[in-house]
Amino acid sequence: MTVILEAHNLVKSYPLGGRSVEALRGVSLSVSKGEFVAIMGSSGSGKSTMLHLLGGLDRPTSGEVVIDGVNVSQLNDEQATLTRRDKTGFVFQFFNLIPLLNVAENVALPFLIAGESLGQHRQRVQELLALVGLEDKAAHRPDQLSAGEQQRVALARALAPEPAILLADEPTGNLDYTTGTEILDLIWDSCDRLGQTIVLVTHDARAAAYADRVLVVRDGSIREEIVLGRRRDHEARALIARLAALGL
Amino acid sequence: MHLAALAWRGLVARRLRTGLTVLGVALGVAVVAGTLLANQAASEAVERAAAQLMGRAELRVRAFDPVGFSPRAITTLRQIPAVLGAAAVAERRLTVSTLPDPRKEDVFSLLLAIGVDAKDEAAIRTYDLEAGAFLTPDSPTDALVNAAWARANGLGLGDQLILTGHREDVPPVRIVGLLGDLGVGALSHGNVLVMHRSTLTTAFEVPAPVTYVDLQLAPGRVEDVQNALDRELTEPFIVETAADAARQLGRAQAGFAGISFVFGLIALLVGAFLVANTLAMTVTERTREIGLLRAAGATRGQVRGLFLRQGIVIGLIGSVLGTALGIGLAALAIGFLRSTRAVLVTGLPLNPLALGMALLMGVAVTAAASTIPAIGASRVSPLDALRSSRQPGRGLWARLRWIVVLEALVLVIGAALYPLERGEFSPLAVVGALAILVAGTGATALLLQPLARMVGRPFEWFFGAEGMLGRANLGRDRARTGLTVGALIVALASVVALGTITESARATADRWVGSILPGGYAIRLGLPVEVDALRSDFEATAGAAVASPIVEFPAVARQGEAPAQEASLAGIDPNVFEATGSLIFVHGDRTTAFRALRDGGAVLVPEPFAGDEMGVGSIVWLSLPGEEEQAFTVAGVIAYTLPARSADGAILLSLADAAERFGATRSSLWTFVPQDGITEGAFQSAVAGKAKSYAGEAISARELASDLGRSIDRLIGLFDVLALLAVVIAALGVLNTLAVGVVERAREIAILRSHGMTIGQVQAMVVSEAAIMGAVGGIAAVATGLLIAWAIVGGSTPRDFGAGLALPWPLLGSVVLIGIGVASLAGLYPARLAARTPITRSIQHFE
Repeated sequence: MTVILEAHNLVKSYPLGGRSVEALRGVSLSVSKGEFVAIMGSSGSGKSTMLHLLGGLDRPTSGEVVIDGVNVSQLNDEQATLTRRDKTGFVFQFFNLIPLLNVAENVALPFLIAGESLGQHRQRVQELLALVGLEDKAAHRPDQLSAGEQQRVALARALAPEPAILLADEPTGNLDYTTGTEILDLIWDSCDRLGQTIVLVTHDARAAAYADRVLVVRDGSIREEIVLGRRRDHEARALIARLAALGL
Repeated sequence: MHLAALAWRGLVARRLRTGLTVLGVALGVAVVAGTLLANQAASEAVERAAAQLMGRAELRVRAFDPVGFSPRAITTLRQIPAVLGAAAVAERRLTVSTLPDPRKEDVFSLLLAIGVDAKDEAAIRTYDLEAGAFLTPDSPTDALVNAAWARANGLGLGDQLILTGHREDVPPVRIVGLLGDLGVGALSHGNVLVMHRSTLTTAFEVPAPVTYVDLQLAPGRVEDVQNALDRELTEPFIVETAADAARQLGRAQAGFAGISFVFGLIALLVGAFLVANTLAMTVTERTREIGLLRAAGATRGQVRGLFLRQGIVIGLIGSVLGTALGIGLAALAIGFLRSTRAVLVTGLPLNPLALGMALLMGVAVTAAASTIPAIGASRVSPLDALRSSRQPGRGLWARLRWIVVLEALVLVIGAALYPLERGEFSPLAVVGALAILVAGTGATALLLQPLARMVGRPFEWFFGAEGMLGRANLGRDRARTGLTVGALIVALASVVALGTITESARATADRWVGSILPGGYAIRLGLPVEVDALRSDFEATAGAAVASPIVEFPAVARQGEAPAQEASLAGIDPNVFEATGSLIFVHGDRTTAFRALRDGGAVLVPEPFAGDEMGVGSIVWLSLPGEEEQAFTVAGVIAYTLPARSADGAILLSLADAAERFGATRSSLWTFVPQDGITEGAFQSAVAGKAKSYAGEAISARELASDLGRSIDRLIGLFDVLALLAVVIAALGVLNTLAVGVVERAREIAILRSHGMTIGQVQAMVVSEAAIMGAVGGIAAVATGLLIAWAIVGGSTPRDFGAGLALPWPLLGSVVLIGIGVASLAGLYPARLAARTPITRSIQHFE
């Protein structure tokens, strides 16, 4: 299968109180097109840092990230931004919708940023809203939506430009069980039906169980790779048992 | 540590914001201090000028007749008991030139020549001399000129001046002293030549008239002398006291004091907006913190105290800085006024009272402005600490209400410390103008969203998503944006109002000059000369179709049972005025009025003279002092007339009536109508040549109007600078608001960045937000400013603004552009701040 995301020996260190702290210590991975990969780890393990580097939001101290053939680690900010615009979509824990824009405009945000109008992409926006079940709320403001609905809009927005890779950082971390499940179902659906490549960062084994493959991160390194394969039932028990065996 | 220390730490923690607010207050206080000091300099100058002009004289006896006092009258005045000294002063206008010098360009200048008797003059007045010495009786060709005039013309002590049109055997006068800008040196805007009366009298065929005699009296004998004057002086006269002279000078300067006072208030008002807005932003930002304090047991009073302390600290530092800056501003303003001679000023007066007043106003207004957010802070509930997010956009009406109270307070403080009646505008007009300002600000805050949507459209077209987001951001916290834009409106509206009033005054001046000068050209002679002696020569001026004299003379006018009053009459040729379309009739038919003038026994009266009682058909009784009254019928009321010594201007009658009924046949003013087809330049130079041959002054309506316009512009220039300082303060508010907005929206900006928004796009978004704010402010300021100008122009007499409201189109466009430009500049720093927003850290941050 085509490799769409590669990371080679990623190191990320931060200055802290006059010394340097390594958040990532030489991480390498590759994600194939259409694959659903979960990155798991406890708080402070470095999983979010890894996601930021993989999405081109931040630069590694050393090592490189290649997204769809583009080495983002060697790009300047402007080039990295444009690559991000074309090739990645993000879903965050706190929905992060723009309160000033309505639902349709929020979904169309990547197009608007690219200098295009909502009118040019109305059909695509409608399709995405239909995908996330919000076609009747296109004109609503974010504050008129429930938390789950807001996260659906964030997912639709991330999928809007048909990114090479969708990166989700704890997308269910701020949602109740049922709503969280709905969001995970949608993300999985986009992968299974539309062939969307997904990288999901979570500390929740139930969410990680949607993935084809789980990478376990601890102290800034990938300690374990658990291959689950594509499964419709998203059964988490086996994964939980594995993780327990690893002391997580 | 005490809880109060939090106030100080709060200010230190937000250094930029605190610094900008302090700077805003400082600039506001600087304008107040600067204008107070400049006004002080103007008031002192008036007092000193009046003291110098009258010297030790207690009475000025002015000749009623333009031919002046006879030598016999002067002797009579000297012989009145209790008169200790008498200084007779002769006046005439003349042209001077320098001796031909191949190395220098010749100087030609029209001056007011003042002839004095050196000994008598020295006994009455002490001259303010910058260099040289006063006249001495044994050097009859010595003269004094204004020092600034001499500098401007490259002249100095020892240089000689030729009196144009003099008798052949008269030598040139020599400059022996340079006069300062006060007293005699300030007469005729510094275009003055003081010389021996004997020389002035003998230098010309027609001697200069003795126009007044100043009398030094024995103590407590003013009344006795006035009675003696009535008894013994047979020639007509008017008596002025030293107080009259000071009042007259003071009246001329009152406009400056009034307008500068209003600008001081405006700058302070904008500063108050800035303080109120900044502290309100801090309260919103610290809601959770305040809630925690309240939950931990801090009382409402304690919380209120924290914010009041912050306000007072800002006010104190800003006011001290501003007072110091104000001294510098005053020095600049005084220097400017002195160079333009727009207003009489002394050197920089470091008046502790004025400085204390500015300091007090600054602290008081800042403290008042900080009570609004302080009360807001005290109302924060402990539960607010637990809420997940702030709820912006609320409380617009509540804040606006406070702003109205704050503005009223600024007005009250200003009025209490600086009486409104000192200005030329009525207190009602000032209050009305400020009320329109407040209403305009409030209306814009309430209509901000639709306005921003409309104004923001071009920005959306141009900038795309950045423009759209920039526009939308304005609606996030309407109260905050409303206040920020409000401050901009206040500052820019004053620029618009000022410009529109100036334009209207200029248009009125054009209309005035155009209507009273038939043909648009005239010659003013140094002295009145028999009409028939000059007519043929003037009519022979190259290119002239008509040369028509205007015979000016003083008289006494009475209507009905009212007491008689001094009036100025001017005999005109009705045919010339009618044919050239001169004069603007307020009442009465033009053709009928001119026919009546030709028939005789009719007058045209200026509108201020007519008042409400007099109309077409009214009877006016006119006479020369001591002669029989003659009845004249009012044939028309005119908007503008020739300027004259009486405040209302000249009453016009026909030349024939002037000659036959009053024996007035001498004229010092001739108007010239050009023939068809002659070019403007050719005719102007022909008239100028003729004027020069008679040592007279050539006048053209166009030049006169532009001179008037320039003198208006000179004074207004200073106020424009003051108004622009208020714009700078408002820009600091824009910077402050946007910077806070950027910090608050860090996560949102990070989201936009994560979705592919470039640094340039983020910057464009913030600058668009600023520019839209500036555009809304500019457009609202144009509307508000025009409304203020309309109120002021509409509320004034037709004489002041007879041409109605004249719109300065280029200025109106410029104000919108200035609004956009200044706000965009202010948006650059917040844009940079936004561009530096760290994506990963901001995304993880949550409230």
